[in-house]
Amino acid sequence: MSDSVITLECVSKTYGRGAAATQAVADVSMRVARGSWTAIMGPSGHGKSTLLQLIGGLDRPSAGRVMLDGSEIGSLDATKLAAVRGRKIGFVFQFFNLMPHLTAQENVEVALWLGGKGQGKARALDLLGRFGLRDKARHQPGMLSGGQQQRVAIARALANDPDILLMDEPTGNLDSAAEAELLDLLDELHAAGKTLLMVTHNPAVAARAERVVQVKDGRIVADTRHENG
Amino acid sequence: MNLGKLVWRNLLRRRGRFVFTLAGVSVGMAAFVALMTIGQGLTGEIRKQAQGLGANLVVTPKGWCAYEQISVLTGEQLPEAIPLAELEKIRAVPGVRSALPYLNEKTAFRNQPVPVIGIWPDEMRSLQKWSVATGRYFTAADERAVVIGAAIAQQFQLQPGDEFTVRGKRLPVIGVLREAGTKDDIATFVPLSLAQEIYEVKGMVSFIAVQVIDLEQMEAVSLGIQEAANVAVVSDKQLLASVLAIVGTVGAAMQAVAAVGVLAAAFGIVNTLLTAVYERRREIGILQAVGGTRRTLFLAFMLESGLYGLLGGLLGTALGLLGAYVFGPVLGDNAFTASLRQSPAPAFDEVTLIITLAFSVGLALLAGLYPAYRATRLSPVEAMRHV
Repeated sequence: MSDSVITLECVSKTYGRGAAATQAVADVSMRVARGSWTAIMGPSGHGKSTLLQLIGGLDRPSAGRVMLDGSEIGSLDATKLAAVRGRKIGFVFQFFNLMPHLTAQENVEVALWLGGKGQGKARALDLLGRFGLRDKARHQPGMLSGGQQQRVAIARALANDPDILLMDEPTGNLDSAAEAELLDLLDELHAAGKTLLMVTHNPAVAARAERVVQVKDGRIVADTRHENG
Repeated sequence: MNLGKLVWRNLLRRRGRFVFTLAGVSVGMAAFVALMTIGQGLTGEIRKQAQGLGANLVVTPKGWCAYEQISVLTGEQLPEAIPLAELEKIRAVPGVRSALPYLNEKTAFRNQPVPVIGIWPDEMRSLQKWSVATGRYFTAADERAVVIGAAIAQQFQLQPGDEFTVRGKRLPVIGVLREAGTKDDIATFVPLSLAQEIYEVKGMVSFIAVQVIDLEQMEAVSLGIQEAANVAVVSDKQLLASVLAIVGTVGAAMQAVAAVGVLAAAFGIVNTLLTAVYERRREIGILQAVGGTRRTLFLAFMLESGLYGLLGGLLGTALGLLGAYVFGPVLGDNAFTASLRQSPAPAFDEVTLIITLAFSVGLALLAGLYPAYRATRLSPVEAMRHV
């Protein structure tokens, strides 16, 4: 698959040593096509989030290679890895992970600043406006609903216009209405050509993806492609 | 958004902790600044007193201790240890322009100790360039009279025509000297012969102040005096140096105590920032996830620490100066400073301000090193696990 944006080759991740060693990811190989939407499913504690963290360069594999756009990221030093995270990848988390003392606008501005795009007030407001949050720009996360917070988190993830959006249970903390809104938003991003990779427990959410990868005991046990995607 | 704004927002998140940490730095720096300015003020005052002596060399009895040497500058009571006969020998030494005897005594007036200095009136007036504010100066007919300093006149509400008692002897006040800003303001002056009579030390003086003709020849004149008479000689510069050494040692010891306070405040910064690193683990992870480098995290905590130093330094300097001006006169009220004309005014300048702020910021940055290092060691995954 020549247009793979993410490639994993025999990737393993082991925590601890000796008798206390726990293998979270075991010998996983997979390719993710550019512009695709992939859902990773599986029971809790079976390595889904670890897999996402390895792909996103938040953690390093114990063995194997993780490649983004054909370049291995596991061997990059901390500074270069941070630059890759800032420019190529956007993260969305279950608990939103916004800075509680900053406003919605400032949360987006932080990502712009760290991604090297300067102070970018206008772009931050533009992004928030795209997600219907222009009037909430000066609100702190504690003053926003879960759905609004998650939209701010997505605005932050898209601040530096990354190719890849990595999401860990993005609907896990939302009510059904907010979940539906978020999924519509992800549809739009997918249609715009973003590569979406999402960990979820929810089969209904996974059903919106083109591809569902099942993970168990740190290994890929099923890889299904949908026609709807 | 930029580093400064992010740090400032972080700094003000826990206002209570911010205020108390800042208070620790400020109080430590305030104590440091107050003691430094009071010390500098005292040093300046001592230099002024040394200039007021008007002599190049001071002839003292052999074996005087440092306190007695200091008393020459401060006008304190001194032992009557040099026979006046030595004076003639000293005046005969080549290179001596003038040699004036001092008899430094003390009397109680209205239950207050007052310096009484026996002098040669005419020679003394020409040496010190005294001028009289009210009344008149000694004339040949005024063998049993007293001329008082401006501060004494003010303190005891005395004016020409009033009576002053020295060791129970009633003497008329004939004149009040114009304020000179030296120890002469807090002294009373009587002719040497009268002082010797009242204190029953006929033919003795405390010390002799010598002016030399050529400053280049001071060393030779000093040796000449020691050969001619059985006395010790110290130059005004040596005298000043020994007094300043004592004052400097005391001042340095006090500043060291204050520096311990600043050091304790620096540990307060370490504590505050380590707590902040612990509390902000998740946010540190988020920053890393959205592209923050270790360098950015390190700089953020160092800047936060440096701001504690800068703000604490500025606030501490203001508080310290206020304290020095308000409490300095009380703190400086001791046996030594009491002999000065008034409590020395605190001294502070731009250089001291820069040194103080550099000390405060430098120490704060040192304090920030370990917490900043700890922040950079957090892995983003570990950090974000904490909710």
